Amino acid sequence: MAVSTPDTIVQGGKGGAPKSPNRRWAMGFLIAAIVTYLFYAFVVPNLGAAGKTFVSTWIPAVATNEALVWVICAVGLNIVVGYAGLLDLGFVAFWAIGGYTAGWIMSTFIQAVNPGFYLASAAYPDQPGIHINWWLVLIIAACLCAFAGVLIGAPTLRLKSDYLALVTLAFGEIIPQVFLNADKFTNGARGIAPLDNVSPLPFGPSAITIGDVKIPISQPLGPFDTSAKFLLFAIVAAFAIFVSLRIREGRLGRAWLAIREDELAASMMGVPLMRTKLAAYAVGAFMGGMGGVVYAIHTNSVFPDRFTFSISILLLAMIVLGGMGNVWGVMIGALGLAWFNSTGLPQFGFWFNGQFGTEINFPSYSFLILGAILVLMMLFRREGLFPETRTRQILREAERSDAEELDGGEV
Amino acid sequence: MSTDVVTDVMPLTASNITVRFGGLVAVNDVSFTVPPASIVSLIGPNGAGKTTFFNVLTGLYRPTTGSVHLNGRNITGQTPHKIASLGLGRTFQNIRLFGLMTAAENVMVGMHSHTTSNIVQIVARTRHQRREEVESRAFAQEMLDFVGIGRHADEYARNLSYGDQRRLEVARALALRPKVLLLDEPTAGMNPQESAVFVDFVRRVRDEQGVSILLIEHDMSVVMRASERITVLDQGEKIAEGGPEDIRNNPRVVEAYLGRTGTEGSAR
Amino acid sequence: MTITAVEKADNRPTLLRREKIERVLAYGLLLAAAVWLLWNLVAAPVQFANVTLGGIRTGAIYALVALGYTLVYGIIELINFAHGDLFMLGSVFSALILVNFFGAGTGSPKDWALMILTLVIVMAMCAGMNVAAEFIGYRRLRRAPKLAPLITAVGISFIFQWLGIVLNGSAPKSWPKVIPNGGIHFGNVILDYSTIVVIAVTLPLLALMTYLVQQTRQGKAMRATAQDQDAARLMGINVNRTISFTFGLGGAMAGAAGLLYLETFGTTRYDAGFQLGLMAFTAAVLGGIGNLKGAVVGGFIIGVIQAWNDGLPHGLGQQWSQSVVFTILILLMVFKPEGLYGKPTVEKV
Repeated sequence: MAVSTPDTIVQGGKGGAPKSPNRRWAMGFLIAAIVTYLFYAFVVPNLGAAGKTFVSTWIPAVATNEALVWVICAVGLNIVVGYAGLLDLGFVAFWAIGGYTAGWIMSTFIQAVNPGFYLASAAYPDQPGIHINWWLVLIIAACLCAFAGVLIGAPTLRLKSDYLALVTLAFGEIIPQVFLNADKFTNGARGIAPLDNVSPLPFGPSAITIGDVKIPISQPLGPFDTSAKFLLFAIVAAFAIFVSLRIREGRLGRAWLAIREDELAASMMGVPLMRTKLAAYAVGAFMGGMGGVVYAIHTNSVFPDRFTFSISILLLAMIVLGGMGNVWGVMIGALGLAWFNSTGLPQFGFWFNGQFGTEINFPSYSFLILGAILVLMMLFRREGLFPETRTRQILREAERSDAEELDGGEV
Repeated sequence: MSTDVVTDVMPLTASNITVRFGGLVAVNDVSFTVPPASIVSLIGPNGAGKTTFFNVLTGLYRPTTGSVHLNGRNITGQTPHKIASLGLGRTFQNIRLFGLMTAAENVMVGMHSHTTSNIVQIVARTRHQRREEVESRAFAQEMLDFVGIGRHADEYARNLSYGDQRRLEVARALALRPKVLLLDEPTAGMNPQESAVFVDFVRRVRDEQGVSILLIEHDMSVVMRASERITVLDQGEKIAEGGPEDIRNNPRVVEAYLGRTGTEGSAR
Repeated sequence: MTITAVEKADNRPTLLRREKIERVLAYGLLLAAAVWLLWNLVAAPVQFANVTLGGIRTGAIYALVALGYTLVYGIIELINFAHGDLFMLGSVFSALILVNFFGAGTGSPKDWALMILTLVIVMAMCAGMNVAAEFIGYRRLRRAPKLAPLITAVGISFIFQWLGIVLNGSAPKSWPKVIPNGGIHFGNVILDYSTIVVIAVTLPLLALMTYLVQQTRQGKAMRATAQDQDAARLMGINVNRTISFTFGLGGAMAGAAGLLYLETFGTTRYDAGFQLGLMAFTAAVLGGIGNLKGAVVGGFIIGVIQAWNDGLPHGLGQQWSQSVVFTILILLMVFKPEGLYGKPTVEKV
């Protein structure tokens, strides 16, 4: 990580220097995204058979897209856990709310609205239901989730950390179960599918061709336009990362860090605890909602049994592995673990069993690996593989005995 | 509410504060004012109720009876952060800095209640927000320079020396632009030379920042040299109040201290 | 950190009013629940009785698991996330040992003897696993910020689940039960044999635990350590050993619960721990986390509530049981975190 100055959450430092490290990384991300898009859209179809097989087994475009969903959600959870230090074990609830919002206002599900209500949508015309442009759906779902986050947080953020963890877990279980059971509103276990097509822009030419490269503009993208959707997902991910980086600077980021360090002292320095924690919750939920919509589009469906506790834990593992509080570390952790979970582990299993004639069920080991990651990271490298700059410069034994010197027992 | 002229004029007034924990009376009907631009001390043997009283002033505890007024405004039972933003700053006996933040960042946290940028403004980096940031950083530097650690502005707080950490705590509290500054045993762990320097420092804070200072202290030399007025608590009650000479010669005070056989009491 | 604010001793009218409103709402809720119960009882008294008996049976299992949570929380203020999965492993171990290894069938005296032997073995195994988990996962993090051991506990929970998959497969398995089906009939009300056995096992275990905690030196050491670790250490108590002992005790309870679960429901599944663990944790919180009597009482209450919701004619049905219990958990933690028997400590944020 190139970031080495502690000016990260103070804009401008002493002399007003620009945020060059962050800007460098943002450019890098953009370039990486474009390169990846070009790779999948134009390089892969021209590879030989061996190349194509390799790509489709080890780094299929579907997995790459899915990994971006995880990035969006992990970055959101990072704000809650990494920035503000609140352990949220029920983040999957926002994923679900986002997904079902998309299911309601981006499909033919609400049959009662007939003729259909269309708003800059790329969906097939003349169908019942609500069809809103997916960018708007993104915003609506995210705002809904932010609101839900505030509702959940308002009574519960007063609790101490372990109680908070359990309560968030409880919400993370209740909300998907409500979606599962509320048949009339959600189609229950049958879920909602398919969803509308999406397009980069609701207007303009169908696509632009630059040389050999054809970039869709208003062309509706269906479930199989994976590489084009990659661009859209990358834009949402970039937005999430951008917001995450920006919000860490400035007074809110400092307030979160202060709360994480010493809640009591923070409150005595004028930081309103509830409001500040709620802000973290709301922003994290906002991103979770975005992730939920993106995932719904990715799978072209919303099914209640997808929203399991394991998702919340996998997100947590991504943050723990990547580096709590460090956006780029979390991104790397998310990409890595998502790929590993969806493709890496199963494919490795096939290869291994093929090589050695064994019949080991590798995907079942994901529980072990996930658990081991959490335990080992906590025991040996609590700050993550890519820790925040400030944490890295401090000795790793920042344990409570040290903190107790700062803490004080008398109050 | 009160038509008492004293309440309206005094930066900090505590009236008839009683704090009961279950059956134990920690503070018993103590009244107390802090005059403007002054240094006053609160002393007493361990277990006298000083910290409990302090915590009532800062909003950590709600008194069983009585009220606290800050600049004429009733702040009894308000949340700590509200009281802090209204102009009551404090330091802690066991230093409670934000170790993973730089000195400047620590001070800027103190400015939270005086700045207004919200989430959208922060993300969009509006002109207002950028200006606030620059001003905050400048003001933080000012405070750090004032307390004498300006050159450490970008050092992590936990790497500072003990004396510098104490100064940083004061700088952070000053960022609240308080009318009253509560210092909780600020010279703990200092040698006589350092304490003397600190006394001068406290005087400078009073004179140059126009802040009233309330000290809890055990070091009698510091108390005698720095205070304009001393209040003595013993077993939750005010047993004496006056200038250093009066207190020094007050038999009740002497008895309260010498009559003690215990060492470090935990409850105060 | 917990700051004890002035508890009842403040006289500001606004706070009293809020407390009054909360109290009124709480009583209203309880009253509504009582009315609903009465309604069900009148509508189908036999079903009510059977369902309640079933609830008591489940409640006993919850009570045993809840004890493990409350013991560990009481002594090191850690929510042992992996405890529910330890229970699941208990059931899996029981199945493998009792049915596969011992080849027990149904009902013969030899089978009953084997079941008791398995009970002891499984309790020891689960106790050992819990002690190992503490040693490996939590001991080093005793001084770390609270987030760390909590995350570790989640990790160990997943490792236990993996073990469950390895031993039991990813699908539920059915097993023959030593306890015969059916029960004693009182008219149409049936007292299942399994209920009798569960109670017959649970009560002595509870008595044994009570004796251990209240009368033995180890028990005193536990209680001292729970109150003040440093003071206990100064008194010469081996804190590490005491904590290990506590984990062992909790693990043993979970193991017993696992066997009882197997003998009651005849199935094992690798994800049984997660659900049941949360139910039992709710029970522990309801009773007052850290309070042993509370864990037991809470266990029975939650078991019965779940049974009522599942089985009564006007209940919401099994698909809502989880939500109901978790809602209770949330309400408890927000409004009455000290539960029934805990001490109220107000935290000022």
